[in-house]
Amino acid sequence: MKHRGKGIGCMWYPIGFTVLANPSAATVKINEDGTATLLTGTVETGQGSLTVLGQIAAEALGVSTDDVHVVSGDTDTTPMDTGAIASRTTYVSGNAIKLAAENARQILFEVAAPMLDVRPDQLEAVDRKIQVKYFPQRCLPIADVALQAQFVMGRPPIGSASYNPPTVGMDPETGQGKPFSTYVYATQCAEIEVDDETGEVEVIYMSAAHDCGTAINPMLVEGQIEGGISMGIGYALQEEMLFDDDGKQINPNLTNYIMPTSLDMPKIDVDIVENFDPTGPFGAKGVGEPTAVPTAAAICNAIHDAVGVRITSLPATAEKVLKAIKELRDGGEQKALPAAE
Amino acid sequence: MADDVKTKEKTESLESLRKADDNLRLPTVPERTLFPKEIGIAPAREQTPAVGQRATRPDGRMHGLGQTKYIDDMFFPGMLHAKIKRACISHAKIKSIDVSEAEKMPGVMATLIGKEIPVNSFGPSYQDQPLLADDIVRHAGDGVAAVAAVTEQQALDALEKIKIVYEELTPVYDPMEAMKDDAVKIHNGESNVYSSKTIIKGDVEQGFKDSDFIFEKTFTTQMVEHVPMEPHASIAEWDANGRVTLHTSLGRITLGRADVSRTLDLPINRIRMIATVVGGNFGGKNEITTEPILALLSKKTGRPVKCVFTREDEFISSTTRHPFVMEYKTGMSKEGKIMARKVRLVCDGGAYCSWSETTLGKACILSAGPYNIDNLHVDAYAVYTNKTMTGAMRGFGAPQVCFAYESHMDDMAKELGIEPLEIRFMNAFNEGSTSPTGQLLEAVVVTDSLKMASERFGWKEWQK
Amino acid sequence: MTDITLTVNGEEKTASVPPETTLLKMLREDLNYTGAKLGCDVGDCGACTVLVDGIAVNACLMLAGQAEGKNIETIEGLSTLEEYHPIQKAFEDVASLQCGFCGPGMIMSTKALIDQGEELTRDDIKDALSGNLCRCTGYTKIIEGVIDAYEEITGKKVPETNPRAA
Repeated sequence: MKHRGKGIGCMWYPIGFTVLANPSAATVKINEDGTATLLTGTVETGQGSLTVLGQIAAEALGVSTDDVHVVSGDTDTTPMDTGAIASRTTYVSGNAIKLAAENARQILFEVAAPMLDVRPDQLEAVDRKIQVKYFPQRCLPIADVALQAQFVMGRPPIGSASYNPPTVGMDPETGQGKPFSTYVYATQCAEIEVDDETGEVEVIYMSAAHDCGTAINPMLVEGQIEGGISMGIGYALQEEMLFDDDGKQINPNLTNYIMPTSLDMPKIDVDIVENFDPTGPFGAKGVGEPTAVPTAAAICNAIHDAVGVRITSLPATAEKVLKAIKELRDGGEQKALPAAE
Repeated sequence: MADDVKTKEKTESLESLRKADDNLRLPTVPERTLFPKEIGIAPAREQTPAVGQRATRPDGRMHGLGQTKYIDDMFFPGMLHAKIKRACISHAKIKSIDVSEAEKMPGVMATLIGKEIPVNSFGPSYQDQPLLADDIVRHAGDGVAAVAAVTEQQALDALEKIKIVYEELTPVYDPMEAMKDDAVKIHNGESNVYSSKTIIKGDVEQGFKDSDFIFEKTFTTQMVEHVPMEPHASIAEWDANGRVTLHTSLGRITLGRADVSRTLDLPINRIRMIATVVGGNFGGKNEITTEPILALLSKKTGRPVKCVFTREDEFISSTTRHPFVMEYKTGMSKEGKIMARKVRLVCDGGAYCSWSETTLGKACILSAGPYNIDNLHVDAYAVYTNKTMTGAMRGFGAPQVCFAYESHMDDMAKELGIEPLEIRFMNAFNEGSTSPTGQLLEAVVVTDSLKMASERFGWKEWQK
Repeated sequence: MTDITLTVNGEEKTASVPPETTLLKMLREDLNYTGAKLGCDVGDCGACTVLVDGIAVNACLMLAGQAEGKNIETIEGLSTLEEYHPIQKAFEDVASLQCGFCGPGMIMSTKALIDQGEELTRDDIKDALSGNLCRCTGYTKIIEGVIDAYEEITGKKVPETNPRAA
């Protein structure tokens, strides 16, 4: 017989390295037609970070995503970056890029100010224009200002900057300190079905509400969350590297190491929790790793809800779940009893 | 009509003659991948403001057209293929390595062993890992020698001819065993515990005394592999100026370059690392693997050298997710408030440190969960074992501890007769909460996420 | 060495390869079609999927010799200078691919499925893609891309289903 159950998993996760410096640097070059080129030392490892970083540069320059070309991943041409690790790219590289773009933009403001008869600090970059704050009628196309900067004033608008998250070292005895600049939070809920004759668990549905600060690109955030959930499902139910008595792996191949396929994926509803982190670029934090964190917890809690067994060792394979169900039926000790003090 | 047919026949025969002629004279030109001249740009990419747009990915277009060049898609003139010989023994002393027979094999251009590497050690926290084991083998996936040959098959065949004499050492696989004083020491030293972390907040013993109920449970997790669809791949090319260019599937090129510089004893400005597209990372491509080996093979042969991991290499020699043993003890008030928590984490660190130090630290901090706990004591240990090394993987210890603290939470909720969602609302961080390390938290939305996910799920209405 | 002649994306191609050469190796190394990827070399991951006479095949499991005289379609042959193939467009529009390594195989499996001309449900699509592993996306946006492409190509709709209704 099949039993349905619901389970919840809630988590928090930090952005960037633990205490240690993990800087990013960036260079933004505004071309004479108002488009721009961004140089970043991070590497695109699939998550879409180059698109997101381009969007951050574009936002700071008041241009569109497509107006910014991103160059990355070459130590001879791109500035230092700690790299695609620790869910840090949007936050740390993004902050560096925002600062670099603002430095380049400042040159445009200084060049545009006399053209518009105002001070540089009265200007903003919006909709591919350099315009006067609170009086947008007075404006110039960004292309005209960039051209003026480069060929008349002789000031190519280029900006470089770096960013490192502010942390405070941890006390070696107590661990007290500020190891990270910021954290993200998330909850996932799972609906699952357990077959009590085989122990097999099927994930039917998952809802996921993740905080990433401002979602720079909601479509790519969703992609991260859905991908993280698939990794979490594998972690919860299927995946395990096995060793023989001599310490050799038994299943070092995708035939016997079972990872989720399209058939293992449930329907997923993703929500992005509205939030704004004042320390992040345009309020953004990060999303890569946390997506894979609460899934196994939610699934195992749902198994408990469905058939009353508590899985204490991952993965919750069919064999393990079936054994636990049998033990429970045989009156075995599956319940956690409180011991009052 | 008849004339038309004749003309057509004539054209066709001329055509076939020309084709035959072309075949004789022209080199084969590979078909160019076709893509539309004008595809157009998705509107979201052209809109301002840029932030918040569902902008499509230019690299995504290239992926779909099959035009993305991953490392394995790059071919350079004269390029050789390298393969790594794995130890296939989990703990042993290397008495001798003989590559002379391998070097005589057809197509073999060079071999490399650990002793030829200028500085044969690397690692992000401690440099405890050899590129090719030269003295002690510490897990079965350790590389012990490399071969560069004209074809991959020739390199593989040559690996079979490498003769290695081992003296077996006692292995230890269980981290709890490895922690014991009398356990075999995997790295010379007093203990196999190579990193420990502590967090103390408030007074945990007093907290337990003030609690109405105490709950205890131990949770364990398994070792898993990242399984990026693209296996690790690198190409090294040593040039006449003594510079080396490395095309590599690495997520952190700047620090990777520093590691290559250290191992090759080469100034940083003579190393170029290019990683334009990586086919999946998840933390598994955060460290160098074969890059310095390929650089030396390229130096020896004067040719570009490529190495692509087989899927088996990927499993046995690259980093994995740490198995954890997690002992939780939590004191609760009868209303459902967490009064005190004590946690002991033991992480199976495998044969080398890799990112275990970081993983342990993060797991330690996060092990309390996103909950207000005034009295907390966490002890955490990373332990060497003779298994595949564990390293960075999506979440750095967080999926492990989350599985434990959230399973624990549900058990406690059930015993106290409190709804699982409610008990989380009662204990969740709020704006201005203090973290386990004493940090004031801002932009905190734990309860918002609980609310959103449960409402979307239909948590309250849901029935079996 | 054996001379193998086959048709790739409508062009006749010949190469002289050792007899143990797989179709994947011949395509990638001898004919320069690097779109199909090598992910496992034993038919587990599907990154090397190409169409052989219209059927989706793991090119790493087929010997080049077995493909003699056959009609091979690879990712490189989908679009033309004039037209962006609807599957590739749909995959781009909904960000179906992340690292992209599984993409060519995934798209070729999709093409084989849609080419069959049958009415498709979400489950049919999941079935057809179950031999193509992806670690990045959780398949969710890939399935979304396949549905969009199917609806664009055939004008039919994939019925909405609710797996939660027991």
